[in-house]
Amino acid sequence: MSLVLYSPFLLMHAIKPPPFSHFDEMLAWSEAIPSQLQTQFQIQLQQFGGQSQSQSQTLGARQHYVPYSNWLADTPSASLTQRRAQADLLFRRIGITFTVYGEQGGTERLIPSDVIPRIITAEDWAYLERGLTQRVTAINRFLADIYHDQAILKAGLIPREQIEGNSQFQTKMVGVKVPHDTYASITGVDIVRNNDGKYYVLEDNLRVPSGVSYMLMNRKMMMRLFPELFLRQTVRPVEHYPALLLQTLRESTDIDNPTVVLLTPGRFNSAYFEHTFLAQQMGIELVEGQDLFVKDDYVYMRTTSGSQRVDVMYRRLDDTFLDPLAFNAESALGVPGLFQAYAKGNIVICNAIGTGVADDKSIYPYVPDMIKFYLNEEPILNNVTTYQCRKPTDLSYVLANMKDLVVKEVHGAGGYGMLVGPAATAKEVEDFAVIVKANPSNYIAQPTLSLSSCPTFVESGIAPRHIDLRPFVLTGREVRMVPGGLTRVALREGSLVVNSSQGGGTKDTWVLGGDEATPAKNAEGK
Amino acid sequence: MLSRVASHLYWMSRYLERSENMARILDVTQSLAMLDRSADSGGAMTPIVITEAQAEFAETKLPATYANVIAFLAWDLKHPSSIRNCIEATRENARAVRGSITSEMWENINDTWIAFQEKAKNIDPMMTGNEFFEWVKERSHLFRGVTFATARRDQPYHFTRLGTFIERADNTARILNVKYAEEAPDSFDEKEVDKETDYYRLSAVLRSVSALEAYRDTYRDVIDARRVAEIMIFDAKLPRSLRYCMDETTLVLDELPSGSGRIARRIASEINAKLRYGTIDEVLEYGLKRYLADFLQDMVKLGTAVNAAYMEMH
Repeated sequence: MSLVLYSPFLLMHAIKPPPFSHFDEMLAWSEAIPSQLQTQFQIQLQQFGGQSQSQSQTLGARQHYVPYSNWLADTPSASLTQRRAQADLLFRRIGITFTVYGEQGGTERLIPSDVIPRIITAEDWAYLERGLTQRVTAINRFLADIYHDQAILKAGLIPREQIEGNSQFQTKMVGVKVPHDTYASITGVDIVRNNDGKYYVLEDNLRVPSGVSYMLMNRKMMMRLFPELFLRQTVRPVEHYPALLLQTLRESTDIDNPTVVLLTPGRFNSAYFEHTFLAQQMGIELVEGQDLFVKDDYVYMRTTSGSQRVDVMYRRLDDTFLDPLAFNAESALGVPGLFQAYAKGNIVICNAIGTGVADDKSIYPYVPDMIKFYLNEEPILNNVTTYQCRKPTDLSYVLANMKDLVVKEVHGAGGYGMLVGPAATAKEVEDFAVIVKANPSNYIAQPTLSLSSCPTFVESGIAPRHIDLRPFVLTGREVRMVPGGLTRVALREGSLVVNSSQGGGTKDTWVLGGDEATPAKNAEGK
Repeated sequence: MLSRVASHLYWMSRYLERSENMARILDVTQSLAMLDRSADSGGAMTPIVITEAQAEFAETKLPATYANVIAFLAWDLKHPSSIRNCIEATRENARAVRGSITSEMWENINDTWIAFQEKAKNIDPMMTGNEFFEWVKERSHLFRGVTFATARRDQPYHFTRLGTFIERADNTARILNVKYAEEAPDSFDEKEVDKETDYYRLSAVLRSVSALEAYRDTYRDVIDARRVAEIMIFDAKLPRSLRYCMDETTLVLDELPSGSGRIARRIASEINAKLRYGTIDEVLEYGLKRYLADFLQDMVKLGTAVNAAYMEMH
C-alpha cells in the first residue's frame, strides 16, 4: 500500500485532492517530496505513523502557487469563512448580478465568486498573449477579406457555401468599408487547459463577448478582502481595462475627440450590470435604442440640452436587433436608420456588423488555416480537433462515438443546445443523435477535453472544479489586452459547463510579474 | 445628459420621497388611532384620502380598519404607491441609471431594497408600526445624506433634488388639505371645541412634517390651527414647507440647461412668488381648501412642463 502524503495546508483546510490523471492548476502529484516542504513532510510523516517512504506519492502546490499555499496554511478556516461571507455581502450590495432567462420575471442572481485565485505564470501568459494577438489579427484579416475580395475563398481554403450560406454572414456588409479594417475591436477567446497540460482555444467570441466586469470586480474584491496576498507575489494589474477599451473605441474613428456611447438592450438584459459598469468606468453615456435617432444619415442622442451627434457606438446588442429597417423589423431595441448611417461611414459600430460569421463553430476549424494564409505564420495556439457533421465521414464518426464527444450547435452560446457525451445518459445520447441526424450541418463535435481544475470553495469544503479562461483582446491601432482575463469555474462536481447561466462561477485570475522566474519544468503548454 | 437618464433620476427620488411621506402619514395615523379608542373608520380612511387611493382600496373589499389601511398602504403589491412598490420603483429607476449616480448612492438604495426584501418575507400588519416607519424615513434620510456628500453638483444631482422637492411639496399640500381643512374646519373660529383632541391632532400634523420643534421655536406658544397652516405653507426655513420646497425647486431649475426649460422655470417662479409674497390671512380669507387645490393644480402644470422640457422622448 502506498502512503499518500499531503502538504499541511491541504489537511488544514480539508482540501479534496484532484484525481491522479487530472491537470490541476494549483496541485500536482509527484514522487519526490519538494525540498522546501521536506521538514513539514517529515513531521507529517511522523504524525501518520512514520512508515516507509519508498512508495509514497506526495501532493503539493506547484511552484507558482507556493506563496499562496503557504498563506493558506497560515490562515485559519474561520477567517476564510468570514471573509467569504464578506465577499458575498459586498457583491450583493454592489448588485453584481446577472439575469437568468426563463425564470419568472427574469430573476436577478449573484454570480458566485470564488476566493481561491487562478494563477498563471509569466511565461504561460507571454505565450498566450503572443498566440492571442496572432489569432485575433488573422480573424480581422479574414473578416475584411470575406466582405471584400474573398481571397481565401478564391484560394479554395474554405468552401464558399460555408461562408455565404452561413446565417451569420451579413450580405448587407459586402463592400461596406469598415474603418481600419477592424471588424472585431473586442474579442473574448475561450481557452482551456487539457490534462496534457496544454492550452487549447475552445472558441472565439466576436460578437458581444461579456464577462469582463466580473474579471474587474473579482480583482477589486480580492484586493479588498485579502490585501496581504498581493504583498506576497507580484500580480499584474487588470484595472486599466476600461481605459484600454476607451482608447480602442476612440481609435476606431478618425474623428478628433469623438462622442462614444455604449448601447445596451436595457436593464432586463442578463449582462446589464456589465453595461452600466463599463459605461461608468469609461465615462461615456449608456444609451438604449430609444435614446437615439437618425437624421440625414447621422446618429444623435436625445439629451436634456437637445440632440448630440454620436460618432462611435460600443454596442452590446446583436446584429439583428440593431436596426429594424435593415434587419429584424420586430426589434424595438434598435435604432431605425442606423445601418444606413453606418454604411455611409457616419458612425462606427464596435464590433462591426457581421463579425458573427467568424466565431461560428463551423468556421472555427479554419482559424489555423487563416493564420497561415493571411500572416504566413504557424499558429501559436492549439485548436481542438473538430468534426464537422456536414461532412458525411465526420458525421458517421460522430454518431458512432457520441458518448465520448462534446456535440455543439454551430450557432449555440451560453451552454445551451449541447451534449457532453461522457456526462450524458444513454437515452440522452440517443435523443441527441436523432436531432443531429435531422440537421447535420447545424452541429460540430469535439473530443471531450478534460478541462483543468482548480481548488474551489464548495459546500463540503475545498474541492477541485473545472475551469476555463476568457482573455479579452482589444484591437485598436494595435492589439492590446490586460494580463489574464476571466476564469470561469463549473461549480457542480464533474461538470464541464462553466457558463454563468448554467451554474458557473468565477475566480480572480492572477498573471504573475515577470520577476518571479518559474522553473522550466512548470512551464507547460508550450 | 440623456433625457431618459434625467427621467429615471427624477422618478427615483420622487418614489423615495413618496415612500418616506407614506411612512410619515401612516405613523401619524397610527398614533392618532391610539388616541381615538373608538377606532371609527373615518379616521382610518384619512391616509387613503390623502394619497387619493380610494378606488384602489375599494377594490380590496376590506373593511376600513387601521390594520387593513396600513397593510394596504405599506405592503400591498397591487397598490402602485404602497411603500413596498415605491421602494421597488426607486431601486428600478436607480438601477437603470446606476452609472450616473455615485456608487455610494446606488449601494445605499440597493441596501434598502435588500433589507426590504427581508422584511417582506414576514409581513405582519400588526407589527408594522413606528419602528418600521422610522426605518423607512431613516433610509430616505440616509440617501439624501449620501447624495449630499458624494454627488457632483451636476445635472444628475439637480434632477435628483428636483424630484425630491416636487414630490415633497405635493405631499405637504395634501396633508394640509385633508388632515386639516377637512378634519378641523372649525378650528379657525376661536371656538373652544375639544381642546385636548385638537391639540393632539394638530401636533400630529406638525410631526408628520417634522415641524413640531420648529413650531415651538417659532411661536413659543400653544399650538393653534392658524399658525400650523402658516408654518407649513409660508415658513422659509422649514424643509418641508411649501415655501421651502418651491424655493429649492426654483433654484434647481436655474441650474438646468436653460434652452428648453423656460416654461417650467416660469411656472415654478409664479408658484414661488405666491408663496414668497403671500400671507396666511389672505389664504384664510380666500379659503384654505381652495388655496391648496389651486396649489396642487399648479404643481401638476409644473410637473408637465418639467417633463416636456427635459424628459420627453420624441
